[in-house]
Amino acid sequence: MTLVYLVLGTVFGFILSRSGAADYNYIQGMFLLEEFQLFGIMAVAVVLAAPGVWLIKRRGRTLLGTPVAIELKGLHRGNVVGGVLFGIGWSITGMCPGPIIVNIGEGKIYAVAALAGALTGAAAFGSLYERLERPFRLPALEVGTGEG
Amino acid sequence: MPLILNDLPPLHWALAGVGVAGVTLALLLVGSRRLGISTGFEDVCSLVLRGPYFERSAVASGRGWRLPLLAGLLLGGVLSAVSSGGWEPTWDLGIFDRAIGLGPAAKLAWMFAGGLFVGFGTRLAGGCTSGHGIFGLSNLELPSLVTTVSFMVAGILTTQIIYRVVFPLAGGL
Repeated sequence: MTLVYLVLGTVFGFILSRSGAADYNYIQGMFLLEEFQLFGIMAVAVVLAAPGVWLIKRRGRTLLGTPVAIELKGLHRGNVVGGVLFGIGWSITGMCPGPIIVNIGEGKIYAVAALAGALTGAAAFGSLYERLERPFRLPALEVGTGEG
Repeated sequence: MPLILNDLPPLHWALAGVGVAGVTLALLLVGSRRLGISTGFEDVCSLVLRGPYFERSAVASGRGWRLPLLAGLLLGGVLSAVSSGGWEPTWDLGIFDRAIGLGPAAKLAWMFAGGLFVGFGTRLAGGCTSGHGIFGLSNLELPSLVTTVSFMVAGILTTQIIYRVVFPLAGGL
């Protein structure tokens, strides 16, 4: 199974690399509202994945026959505040999490600094979780804010 | 507009969208996995950091599939470069170089600072473009809609401030 995830990650990384999703100019073009490319990618991806997710849930089993169980994430203040912080970071770096790694693969040296920052930010968040839990109404620590 | 990478023409957006949907659905159909990259930052942190948050069972159990997925992203970037004119380390940053024009050291500081926002923000929000924007929206989850609207609005405002106010782009993109 490890190999399956490695291959899926490779396909995903290749698409992000070649589509502009990991390209600084295309990200800024999207946020400047001058470039349709990434809006088009996200729209097509969601419009196609939505019925697919519905069908797979209805099927109820994976290809290996194990149950399909999707853990839902909680709604809390962190969605807005965290979303805003991430949006600022996405604009500054021109990279969201997947493309940070893809850009390193492509040979973009500065992306290593973005990854170092992202890991430091995630480490700070995890270390502060118990203090952020109450003000942001986050789920219990054992649950966390969810996979994403 | 060509990509920064080897001046390539980009894939058509519809084709790329089909590909992203395909990967999303494959993860769910093969292993009942939610597409999501930012949790991988926690997984990497948990390899070296201790403390209640990083020793949760949710973190330990996700590493086995998410770390290979992340390794794949790296490999995908390498293959994309190698198969299109060659892999070469570069500092090229497109319009940033034209409008802001910082040297290597300042570029690293800029990227590290931005990365802090990405890492902290995505984990506070419980996901990023993939986990909320693609998977969450596809599964019609309200927290994902709230988060996606938040990061898109913040990204648009920040870039408008950077490239229309502080460092105006002469001659457009």
